[in-house]
Amino acid sequence: MSEISVTPKSFEMVFYDSAVIGEVVGEVAERLGFSEPIVLEIDEASPLGRSKITAYDPVELWVDGGALENTQRPRHFGKQRTRDTIGRLLIRILDRRSGRFDDAPADDELSLSQFAAWDAHCVGRLERLGIGGQRKRRLYQFRNRHGFTDVADEAFDLLWDSSELNWPEIERISSECRAG
Amino acid sequence: MTDIKRPREPFAPWDRRTLPGLFDVEETAKRVGNYKWLEIKLFEALGGWVATVPELDVKLRLGTHCYHHAWHAELFDKRLPELREMKTERLTVPANDEIATFVEAMTAPEDAHMTIEKLVGVYRVLIPHTIAAYTYHRNATSEITDMPTVRILDFILQDEFNDWREGEMLIQSMLESDEEVDRAMTHQAKLEKLMLAAGGIAGPGSIGDPYVEAMEDN
Amino acid sequence: MRKIFPAEELARDARFIRQTNEQRLGDPRGARVAGGSSGDRLAKLTPELANGPDRARALMHGIFVGEIQALEGAGRTCWDFELDEEVPLALKLDMARQCWDEARHCEISVSLAEHMGTELGEFAENGLLYEAACNPDPVLRLTGVNRALEGLAIDVFNTMKEFGNLAGDPVLEFCEDWMLADEVTHVKMGSDWLRRLTANDKERLDKALEFQKIVDRLFSFNGFRGEDDDSPIQLTRRFRELAGFSDDEIDEIADMSREARVEAPS
Repeated sequence: MSEISVTPKSFEMVFYDSAVIGEVVGEVAERLGFSEPIVLEIDEASPLGRSKITAYDPVELWVDGGALENTQRPRHFGKQRTRDTIGRLLIRILDRRSGRFDDAPADDELSLSQFAAWDAHCVGRLERLGIGGQRKRRLYQFRNRHGFTDVADEAFDLLWDSSELNWPEIERISSECRAG
Repeated sequence: MTDIKRPREPFAPWDRRTLPGLFDVEETAKRVGNYKWLEIKLFEALGGWVATVPELDVKLRLGTHCYHHAWHAELFDKRLPELREMKTERLTVPANDEIATFVEAMTAPEDAHMTIEKLVGVYRVLIPHTIAAYTYHRNATSEITDMPTVRILDFILQDEFNDWREGEMLIQSMLESDEEVDRAMTHQAKLEKLMLAAGGIAGPGSIGDPYVEAMEDN
Repeated sequence: MRKIFPAEELARDARFIRQTNEQRLGDPRGARVAGGSSGDRLAKLTPELANGPDRARALMHGIFVGEIQALEGAGRTCWDFELDEEVPLALKLDMARQCWDEARHCEISVSLAEHMGTELGEFAENGLLYEAACNPDPVLRLTGVNRALEGLAIDVFNTMKEFGNLAGDPVLEFCEDWMLADEVTHVKMGSDWLRRLTANDKERLDKALEFQKIVDRLFSFNGFRGEDDDSPIQLTRRFRELAGFSDDEIDEIADMSREARVEAPS
């Protein structure tokens, strides 16, 4: 099992427990086959939901406190939300390590539509693993970036349902609906 | 070319409306005032209950039906001056004290657990009685002299039937145990007795009198 | 059934979690507003933002619970006041009409939430809107709800309509356009009743306008609703004029928002 290091150790603005966060992140990492140490830095002052991979090897993740929050109970930890946020980041790391994404731009160079397309592929797989979900939420994000059209919806289904696409395929699916 | 000089009957052959009706202007105004009072009480209660029911579909239906009954009250309110009652509030009264008691009992439930009682009072007791009284009025009044009231009642009855059906379906969807059926029936019986005491929404004679006087023995 | 039904007792099913005002305003990160947080320098809500779709989703859920409370508030105004002694029949008829409109808005919002991938109850509910609808004076209640809050709804719906337009989302744009039409009617109702019920009562008029300002201020966290290009929610002059606001009144709201923005922590 991965050793999870959570920063900060204690929280002032939110009712989070770093040990609980570590457990949930560890569970997700184990389900995805990670056994290496993972560092997670949380900006508890931000209620937004941003997240990013700051280093791929060793794995270092950064998230807004809001990305781990229970949206029904602001300032409280949300287990499901955390699984979704961390799962998306970790599966992206696995994708990049697989060799199938060697052509993909760096994370901070991905366009919003590329991100939405890759996310759809990530979360679809997470859902099948029982880790994440919210298919309709992802579909809405995808439509915002690719259009509210049947073509875009079919593209989304393909991304969501596929088990192992590579970057050129994702990029092609995304750009085809934007062109249409 | 049409012969425009050829006389026709004022009433087409299929128009069988007749002149006399059971109600004169005064009686009609009195009944319309009673109806208006009741529709006001009903829309006020439906509006008030919205905040007290947790079931989302019921909440939204009550909000919708609230307006239907407000519109009925408005239609009756506009009819009153046409029936020689310029001070409409004078006739906007309950038919008798008993109907006021009925309304008080019907609107009493407030607790979030009492949605069944709220719905039963409206959709199993009051609205069936309004449908009955309005239908009687619509059929018994003159379709010629009092057609404005008939037209109003036709619109209103359309609403009442639709709302009754929706309300009844909500009740059926909420009755999931013997205990809930008993609750519904107990409350219905309680209110039905109060309505009986009132003689209907417009008092005794709300739906006419179906009995004939027995003939004396020879 | 009681007159004046307390906000804490609003009936909800298990999906809905209430966040008190103390909890909301006591969040050291800033209160949640417009699908984001007042603690941040919120950008104008557009699809181009990285979190634009998620903010729109959260805002849509806020609109949905706001519609429920608006329905409940209008319903209570039908019940809470004695006919003729406290309010005329025509006012109650308007409130009943508003009940129907708000019920439809709830239905529209539920459908839009589904369209945007939001589950009912996914976000916390705050009862501030209904609280304004508990004022025991009908004039203050209508001014606070129909002019301040429904006025805010005009701004929010117009912003969401633009969001739908920019995103090429015909469903969102269509629905917001219809709801916007109803809101203008509701605000106009508030403006008309304020004028009619205070025609010979300057003191009551002043009190009502003061209450409106308090409510407007409560909903002006960090000036998120304003006329600046980057205001998260755009103040909508044209529709407010249609709804009976004078230029001075709109200027005042714009100034209030601007001041709140300047005072906001950076």
